[in-house]
Amino acid sequence: MSKIYLKAMEDVVQRNTDNTNRITEQAQGFVVSENAGDSLLHTSFDLTTAQSIVKHLHASFLKLAQSCVRDLDTDDKLCFLRVKTRKHEFLVSPEEAFTVTVVL
Amino acid sequence: MSAEIEDLLKRYQNYPNVSGIIILDPFAIPIKTTMEYTLTVHYAALISTLTYKAAKMITNLDASNELVTIRLRTKVHEVIVLPSENYIIIVVQNPGT
Repeated sequence: MSKIYLKAMEDVVQRNTDNTNRITEQAQGFVVSENAGDSLLHTSFDLTTAQSIVKHLHASFLKLAQSCVRDLDTDDKLCFLRVKTRKHEFLVSPEEAFTVTVVL
Repeated sequence: MSAEIEDLLKRYQNYPNVSGIIILDPFAIPIKTTMEYTLTVHYAALISTLTYKAAKMITNLDASNELVTIRLRTKVHEVIVLPSENYIIIVVQNPGT
């Protein structure tokens, strides 16, 4: 089951190569991770950097942000998250099955 | 400090679509607010925790980096958090899409 699922995700990544190429023209890079197990799906960074972003940003901080929004209003939902730092900016888009982070 | 906060409030309040402004001290106690009190305390508790976690997350990713601002876009509105040295500014706005 898990292998079939990951295979389907890889097919989606293949079909969106044009989009990801366009992203990397404007940004430093991107990271796509699966929501269920917080595993790395696709990235333009090296593996260490991508795993670090998935671990700290997707698995930990994004979940906290989503729970904050849910606590404030149970009908509300987090659609987009921007974290601006001194060096770069993280644009996080949480979707149903996966999460995309673009680093500007 | 108090005059500075008043200036901040006046500046941000005049923007269109801004529906609420809260200013917290570093201990997450609301100093100034334009929103209802219960909602203010709720925002203060949740957003201050989020801000501290964000600052720690940024440090974990890159030790020489630091947090500037956070924007949370939800279905209903957008929350902008500006942490600075002495206080945290929370602005809630309804961006027309």
